[in-house]
Amino acid sequence: MSKVLLAALLFAGALVAQDPRQIIAEVQKRQHSDSQRYEGTLEVIGAGNKVATKSWTYVRIGSFGNSKARLQFSAPADVKGVGMLIVNHPDKASDQWMWRPNIGRDQRIALQDRSTRFFGTDFSFEDLEERDVDQYDFKLLADEGAQWKIESKPRKKSQYTYSYFWVKKDNYTFQKIEAYDAKGLVRTIDYKDYAQVKNIWTARTTEVFDMRRNSRTILKYDKLEYNLPLKDEEFTLQALRRGL
Amino acid sequence: MILLRLISWPYARKHLLRTVLTMAGIVLGVAVFVGMHTANQSVLAAFHQTIDRIAGSTQIQISSGEAGFEEDVLEKVRELPEVRAAAPVIEASANTGAGNLLILGVDMLGDRSLRSYDLEGTDEAIDDPLVFLAQADSIIVTKTFAEEQHFAIGAKIPMRTMQGDQVFTVRGIMKPGGLANAFGGRLAIMDIYAAQKVFGRGFKFDRVDLALEEGVTLDNAVAKIQGLLGPGFQVEPPSSRGQQFEATSSIYALASNLTSVFALFIGMFIIYNTFAIAVTERRSEIGILRALGATRGQVRTLFLVESAVSGMIGTGLGVLFGIAMARGMAGYIGGLLSEVYGVAQSAGDVTPEPWLLGAAAAMGLATSLIAAVLPAQSAAGVDPVKALQKGRQQSLTAGENRTRRTWAMACAATSAVAFLYSDIGWIFYGGYLLAVLAAVLLAPVLSLRVAQLLRPVLATLRPVEGTLAADSLIQSPRRTSGTITALMLSLALVISLGGLARASYDSLAEWMRVALNPDLFVTTAESVTARSFVFPASLGDGLKAVPGVGEVQYVRSVRIPVKGAPIMLVAVDVESISRHAKLPPVEGDEATMYREAAAGRGVIASENFARLHGAKFGEVLELAGPGETLHLPIVGIVRDFSDQQGSILLDRSVYVRAWHDDSVNVYRLYLKPGAQEAQVRQAILDKFASQQRLFVLANKDVRDFVIRITDQWFGLTYVQIAVAVLVAILGIVNALTVSITDRRRELGVLQAVGALRNQIRHTIWMEAVAIGIIGLVLGLALGAIQLYYSVEVARRDLIGIAIGYAFPFAMVFAMAPVILGAAFIAALGPAESAVRGSLVEALEYE
Repeated sequence: MSKVLLAALLFAGALVAQDPRQIIAEVQKRQHSDSQRYEGTLEVIGAGNKVATKSWTYVRIGSFGNSKARLQFSAPADVKGVGMLIVNHPDKASDQWMWRPNIGRDQRIALQDRSTRFFGTDFSFEDLEERDVDQYDFKLLADEGAQWKIESKPRKKSQYTYSYFWVKKDNYTFQKIEAYDAKGLVRTIDYKDYAQVKNIWTARTTEVFDMRRNSRTILKYDKLEYNLPLKDEEFTLQALRRGL
Repeated sequence: MILLRLISWPYARKHLLRTVLTMAGIVLGVAVFVGMHTANQSVLAAFHQTIDRIAGSTQIQISSGEAGFEEDVLEKVRELPEVRAAAPVIEASANTGAGNLLILGVDMLGDRSLRSYDLEGTDEAIDDPLVFLAQADSIIVTKTFAEEQHFAIGAKIPMRTMQGDQVFTVRGIMKPGGLANAFGGRLAIMDIYAAQKVFGRGFKFDRVDLALEEGVTLDNAVAKIQGLLGPGFQVEPPSSRGQQFEATSSIYALASNLTSVFALFIGMFIIYNTFAIAVTERRSEIGILRALGATRGQVRTLFLVESAVSGMIGTGLGVLFGIAMARGMAGYIGGLLSEVYGVAQSAGDVTPEPWLLGAAAAMGLATSLIAAVLPAQSAAGVDPVKALQKGRQQSLTAGENRTRRTWAMACAATSAVAFLYSDIGWIFYGGYLLAVLAAVLLAPVLSLRVAQLLRPVLATLRPVEGTLAADSLIQSPRRTSGTITALMLSLALVISLGGLARASYDSLAEWMRVALNPDLFVTTAESVTARSFVFPASLGDGLKAVPGVGEVQYVRSVRIPVKGAPIMLVAVDVESISRHAKLPPVEGDEATMYREAAAGRGVIASENFARLHGAKFGEVLELAGPGETLHLPIVGIVRDFSDQQGSILLDRSVYVRAWHDDSVNVYRLYLKPGAQEAQVRQAILDKFASQQRLFVLANKDVRDFVIRITDQWFGLTYVQIAVAVLVAILGIVNALTVSITDRRRELGVLQAVGALRNQIRHTIWMEAVAIGIIGLVLGLALGAIQLYYSVEVARRDLIGIAIGYAFPFAMVFAMAPVILGAAFIAALGPAESAVRGSLVEALEYE
């Protein structure tokens, strides 16, 4: 690589670095994939250190702001089959449905309920959304050497009034998110165990800490695959009812 | 105060029994007033508390009567920017394997924004929310209930649901407080979609609870939501719930008011009687007082204060008895309302409100003072010189008689005029009051006449004793007139209540004969009035296919707001009803009425709906359903006992169209000729009972149920009758005790001149029985008039149905020996006292 090209790249990097929106757009661009599938293991560690473990299978088609995702619980037996369908939109909040096989009903998750905890985990339903970069306003708060600290404020209705993102400079990956509402810090999300999967830097563990309940949820990703040949028909309510 | 201590207290102590008996009327009147109102208020307060606790932070509730509405309404209101949170609810009571529970079906995802579920042993709402949602058998109970049933997480509760027998698993236990205290803690939470299946609600919600965004006013939000949803929905704050409950409860309040006023009225005469005697007895005492310088005012005040003190003590005792009575009554009223409305309330805190105690004290005091006014006046008018001479003044003067008669005639004449204009409420009630007043004023004169008529009869039975007894009554009417008036009023009350009950049962029997004539009833509960569970319409086809079933009528009963009140709408195939259960019209032409109603061009209203809610034959009613607002004329009015607040019969096809609801509460089955009822019943159970909650009731079961409910309603009437009889007996005992004390000297003289003890006994016994007979005669006469007014009051303001006039002869035959027996027994003690006392003391009496 010639020195000129290297200089050009460094210069370009410096330009990106000065615009927080560009940084986040770059994060999304580098994590872009047409589809994704993984088997997740959830560990919810409550305030009393009581641990509840569940597994799900997750599939996604499309990417940020224009994607559809499904997850279906596979264990333990008494929750097997319970599923979620999430349809993300570039210009508005996602549509979400839940399917409960034992009751035989799918149920739309109302916008007003997005701030509630996702099935007893420390995620909220809103945290399952993949929002497009244009749905936020960004502000670069600090250059902390190896990472940037960026503030994001949602343009649409959200449970969060603002969030802080820490983005690693060398590979444009999220390291940590702190999400705040009007009363203060709600939850933190730490992205850990990064590894490259099909050239995409991917956190293999996400740890959410609910500050108010003093509870943690650890999500571990297994059998992670990108760019699989998935079809739109697999992301419908009918498909949700059928299960994965 | 000094006079009270030196004069009144020794007198009261000397005549302790009489003092106690005098207070009894006040005690009973106040006890009934406080007891019934406290019970009513406690049940009502518990109901409102349940509403508040269930409502949580809900500001607006959307409902469509009891019919429920489709789920898309939820999405519509959630879209409104004024709405911060909207949560669907199904609320129903159900009898489970662990007793009766109020079950709240909620959306566990969003409901916590309106209600707080503070659970035991965890910071979580539920031990595992995902498991709770994933498993249709999940249920949360309160700690109160869990402790009562010894339940822990994982405990099982069996329940008969619309999908057959199911076992529910306790997956959360709520800590006491807030929501968990609703319904006395007998509350359970279930996922709303599971509740839809349990109660057979299809894809419907009972209501949607809303919280508004900050800064949005309630009025604006209500107007906007009402505009969005249309007139078929009720959009109102949670406090508006419970109109039906309040309406029912207010009937109890009115009935109890009438009873307590009557008891106090009777008590007033007992007090009057006692004080009138006391004034006569204490003439020499009054004379001494006056001679020593006491003014007329002081003497008057002395008697009034005596009465006030006795009234306050009576009130105090009455309040205590009333609270004790309320504890029993609250459970009774709660149970009765539960049976009828399926929303039982266990009133935890049965305490009278301060205003009630104030009202009771005022009533007790006023009654005592009013009763004592005339005797006090008479005492104040005593001439000291004459008073210090021996002798009594017990006879009524000619002047007194004339005045009474004049007033009585004026009252009677005005009452008769009022009768002509009795369509106007206040004139009617005024006329009623004047009729009673006329009877009261005439009572002494009439007593005298009856006593004169009785004299030869008594003289024939016992020449000496009979004559003495009759003469005692004839010569001293003042002594007994108060008691006889009290007895007359008591018996009149008994006659009117008894007649009302008899006429109600007669009307009900006729209604049941015509309207409740199917062979079998397929219901969702043991009670035909329960509406928590509903059947799908498809069951009707299955029932038709059962061998032996001839015709099936689908009945859907829902309470909807009509003319501002919650009215029972009965949706049924009117054509089929006209063939099998044709109620004759009270207004309208029978053929036209059924034809128009069957064609969906009109509704048939019940007589009590028309009367209580001011509806007229031909009037166009607005019946707003979620799908359509109907404007239908009343094409006929029938006598129907389906609901206390009235009912409206609508053709089922119209209902299904306007309410988007084809569910069914009850299937009425007519069997084919020759079909065996027991076999058909068993065939239905064999075919359907394992798949869903279902009860098959025989015609007799339903009639028995209706009679049982009616018995419970009249249970209170019987309490009133018991109170009236008790007051009457107390009156007789009081009068005789007073009479004997008053006549100690006279009886002593009789013994001194050679009268045998048995003759004295017989004289007193005969006098007592004569008082009973006079009271009976006057009581029956006034009762006949009072019954007319009671029937009218029931028609106008209580049940809205003209139940007809039926004099309760059977009750009279039962009452007569009771009253005469009571009079006789009441005379035993005083008679013995009269013959066993010291002759010297008796002769020295006064």
